Amino acid sequence: MIGKEKILDNLSSVVKKSEVDQTEAVYIGGESGLTRFANSTIHQNVFEANSKVYFRAALGKKIGVAATNSFIKADLEKALSNAIEIAKNQKENPDFPGLPSQKDALSLNTYFDKTARFTPMQRAQEIKKIFDQTKVHNLTAAGSFSTGETEIAVVNTNGVACYQPLTSTFLNIVVTGDNSSGYADWLSRNVEDINAEKLAQIAIKKCLESKDPKGLEPGEYDVVLEPTAVAALLEWMNYIGFGSKPFQEGTSFLSNRIGQKIMAKDVTIYDDGNDQSAIAFPFDFEGVPKQKVTLIEKGVAKGVVYDSISAHKDKVKSTGHALTPDSAEGALALNVFVEPGDSSLDKMIESVDRGLLVTRFHYINGLLDTTNALLTGMTRDGTFLIENGKVKHGIKNLRFTESMLKAFSNVVKISEDRKIVNSWWGDVGCVVAPAMLMKSFKFTGKTEF
Amino acid sequence: MKDKIKETIDYLMKKKVDYADIRHQKTNLEDIKVKNGNVEALSRNDDQGFGIRVIADGAWGFAASSICTSEEMKRVADQAIEIAKASAITKKENAKLAETEVHRDEYESQYAKDPFGVSVDKKISLLLDACKIMMKNKKIKVAEGSMQFFKTNKVFASTEKAFIEQSILESGAGISATAVDGREAQRRSYPNSHGGDYASRGYEFVEEMNLLENAERVQEEAIQLLSADPLPEMETTIIISGNQLALQVHESCGHPTELDRVLGTEISLAGGSFLTLDKLNKLKYGSEKVTITADASLSGGLGSFGYDDEGVKAQRVDLVRNGLFVGYQTSRETALVLNQKSNGTMRADGWNRIPLIRMTNINLEPGEWELDDLIKDTQSGFFLETNKSWSIDDKRLNFQFGVEAAWEIKDGKLGKIYKNGVYTGMTPQFWNSCDAVCNRKHWHIWGVPNCGKGEPMQIMHVAHGTSPTRFRNVKVGVSK
Repeated sequence: MIGKEKILDNLSSVVKKSEVDQTEAVYIGGESGLTRFANSTIHQNVFEANSKVYFRAALGKKIGVAATNSFIKADLEKALSNAIEIAKNQKENPDFPGLPSQKDALSLNTYFDKTARFTPMQRAQEIKKIFDQTKVHNLTAAGSFSTGETEIAVVNTNGVACYQPLTSTFLNIVVTGDNSSGYADWLSRNVEDINAEKLAQIAIKKCLESKDPKGLEPGEYDVVLEPTAVAALLEWMNYIGFGSKPFQEGTSFLSNRIGQKIMAKDVTIYDDGNDQSAIAFPFDFEGVPKQKVTLIEKGVAKGVVYDSISAHKDKVKSTGHALTPDSAEGALALNVFVEPGDSSLDKMIESVDRGLLVTRFHYINGLLDTTNALLTGMTRDGTFLIENGKVKHGIKNLRFTESMLKAFSNVVKISEDRKIVNSWWGDVGCVVAPAMLMKSFKFTGKTEF
Repeated sequence: MKDKIKETIDYLMKKKVDYADIRHQKTNLEDIKVKNGNVEALSRNDDQGFGIRVIADGAWGFAASSICTSEEMKRVADQAIEIAKASAITKKENAKLAETEVHRDEYESQYAKDPFGVSVDKKISLLLDACKIMMKNKKIKVAEGSMQFFKTNKVFASTEKAFIEQSILESGAGISATAVDGREAQRRSYPNSHGGDYASRGYEFVEEMNLLENAERVQEEAIQLLSADPLPEMETTIIISGNQLALQVHESCGHPTELDRVLGTEISLAGGSFLTLDKLNKLKYGSEKVTITADASLSGGLGSFGYDDEGVKAQRVDLVRNGLFVGYQTSRETALVLNQKSNGTMRADGWNRIPLIRMTNINLEPGEWELDDLIKDTQSGFFLETNKSWSIDDKRLNFQFGVEAAWEIKDGKLGKIYKNGVYTGMTPQFWNSCDAVCNRKHWHIWGVPNCGKGEPMQIMHVAHGTSPTRFRNVKVGVSK
C-alpha cells in the first residue's frame, strides 16, 4: 500500500504543473497473488506488484492520453508530457464537455486487512483442504484462488481528488470425475467469507450427481438457471446493451425500446456500485460518484449508464460509469443486480414437469445479433434433466442459441437468494444474480460429453 | 539492465534453486481509434518490469515487480522461492524440464517503416479519410477505424546460462461500417473484424492494406445486409474465407493442440481438449487435404519470434499431417510427457505473467485451388466471410461461428447476399468434410491480437495462415 496521501500528493503535484487547459490523472496499483491448481496439485503460483498511471490532457476539446507503470515522478512527468504532445496533434472531439468537477462519493468499506495479508502458504493450505475432500471420492480438483489489494485514485485540475483502497478474493473449483464435472465459486472483498471445504462439497456433489450423463436432443426446454448461469447471460447483455455507447449507436437491444415492455413483469435489473453487500466501488474512473441506475424495471426498458462524454451527447448527467481514460468502450454497468423474487431453487425444480437444471454456461458470445440480444453458448460442469419436479440425472452438454428478450420475457420464477458472481470487471465489479426459471429456452446443438 | 539481470541469476544460483529464469520486458503501445469523424481514443502506454520464475523444493513459484532495481530483483527472487515452497505442500512429483539447447543470442523482427516514427497526424488522417468515405450513406451510423502499434524489448536469462535479447515490432489496423435501420444493425469490416489485421511488421503493413480503396465497398455491403434475408437453415456446402477460417483454425485446432490444456491445467477456465494423448498419431482429425502447422519461424506473422519465453528457439512443427493428428504445441515441462523436447511455444503476455503454451502461427497449409475455380466447381452453397461471433465447448468439439456476410453460390457463381450467417458442427467431422483448399496465392497470415488464456488472464498475439477452403454437408443458419 502506498497510501492515500502519497498517491494524491504525487498525482496532484504533476497535474498542477500541466501546461494545458485541463488534466486528469488516474492511478490503479496494488499487489495480488493467485494460486492455480489442476489434477489436484498446485501447478501455477504467482504474485505481482504493479501500478498504472493514466494522464488525460485536454487542450480545448483536443484530448491526449498516455500511461506509464512507473510511479517515479520523472516518469509521471514524462507520461503527462506525452499526453500533452498527443493532445496537440489531435483533432477536436465535439462531444467532450470538459473534465468533471469534484462531487463527494459515498464512504464505503471496501478494504479488508486479512485479505490483503493472506499469504501464498495460506492459499495453499486452503487448497489442500479441497484436495483432501476430492480424494475421498476419487475425484480431482482444478481451480484458482486469488487474493489482492488495489488502490485507485483520480485527480484532476477541476478539483477532483478521490481515493479508494480495496481488496478482493475469488476461489473457483472444478471437480472432475471419469465422465462428469461440478463447479462452485465464491467472490468477496473479505477472505474470511471463503469456505473452501463447503465449496468443494458443492462441486463434488454436482460432479457425482452428473456422472454417466445421458444424451438429450436439442430443442426448447424449460430451464432452471442457477445464479452463475444467469450472471453469465447478464454479463454479455451488459456488454452489448446496458452501456451508453451501443445505445447511442443503435446496436443495443435497448435502442429504440426505452419505455417498452421487453421482459417479464417480475424482472428488474439495475446497477448499483454503492451496495456494500457486493463488490462495491464508489466512483468511476473520471472521479464521478456512482449513481444507482435502473436498466429494466418490472420488465420495462428504463435506461443505460453514462460517462461524461456520452452523457453530454444525450444532454443528461454522467451516472458515474466511465472506464479508464485509454478505453474506447464507453460507459459500462460494472455492478449489475437483478432484484430478488420469492422463489427458491428447490421450488423452481419442483414446479418443472420436464426441463433442465443448468449450473453454468461456457463461452457465451453475444455478437450474433445485438439488437435482439441473441446469445449462444454451451452448458458446463453440471447439467441435469428435471422430470416431474425432480432432478433425474446428468445430461451431456448442450448449445443454446436464444434471444435474451425472449428468454427474460419467459421468466416465471426468481429466487429470493442471490449470489455475487465474478465478472470481467475484476475487483471493481460483479453481477448479483438470483436463480431463474425460464420457459421454452432454445437449445440448438449438443456435444459428446 | 543486463548487469542487474546477470546479478539476479547469480543470486538465484547461490540460493540453490532447482531452476530459475528472469525475464525483463519493456513495451510501448500506441492506440488510435476514430469514429464518425472524431478521434475517439489516442493513447500511448509505456510499460516495463520483470518476472522471476523458479523451481524450488520441486515446485513452481513466480513473482514480478515493476520496480527494476537490483534490490527489488533480489527481494522478488526470494519471494518467488517462498511461493514455490508454498506450492510444494501439494506436489505429487517434482517439477522437471526437458533438456533444451542453451542459447545466448539476439533476435530482431524485420520491418521497413517504424510506425512510432510516422506522424500521428498522418495516421489519424488515413483513418478519418476512410471514415469519411464510409459515412457517405446516412444509414451508416458508425464508421470507425483503428490502428495499434507495439514495440517490445525482452531480455531472458536462466540459471542454465541462457541469455537472449529480443526486439519485436507489431502493427495492426482496420476499418468497419455499421448500418442501422430501425431495429436492424449490420456491420462490415476490412480487412478483418475485431480491430482488423495485425502482423509483426512496420507501418508498411498498414499502407499495403489499401484501407481507403476498400472503404466504399465496406459501407455498401453493410447497407446491403440491412435488407438481406437471413441465411436459411440447411445442410450445405460452404466455402469459408481466409479471415473467418483463421478463427476456425484458432478455436478448433490451435487451442486443442496446446499440450498444457490437454493435460488439464486450463480446466478451471476455458476447459480441456478432445485431443487426448491416446489420439496422437491415431486420430483422423481431418481429410487428407488438411495439413496444419505451428510455425513461429515464419517471417512477419503475429505469432513469430526468435525464442519463446523459456529460451527455446522458434520452430515449425506439424500438428495435423494430411488429416492425421500428429503433434502438440509443447513446453519444456509438458514435452517430457511425450519424451520429447519442447517445440518452443511458451509465451507470456507481459513481464508480470508466467509463460504458458500459446499458439504461434497456426496455419492451414495451402492447397491447389484458385478461388475462382473453386467457386465454379461448387454447384450450390454459400461463401462465408469475416467473423462476427465465436463459441466452442470446453473440449473444443461443438462450435458455432457467426459471419458478417454470406453469399449464395449457385451453379458455380456468387449471387445474393445473406445476413446473420451462422454455421455449426463438431470439430473432427467438420475438418473431415474439407475437400478443397485454395493455393498460396490466396494464402495470408491473419494476425489475432486478442487470444485469451490463463489466470490471471493473458491476452496473446497469435496468427493463422489460411486461404479460402471448402467444406461439405455443414449445418448453417441455426441462429434462431
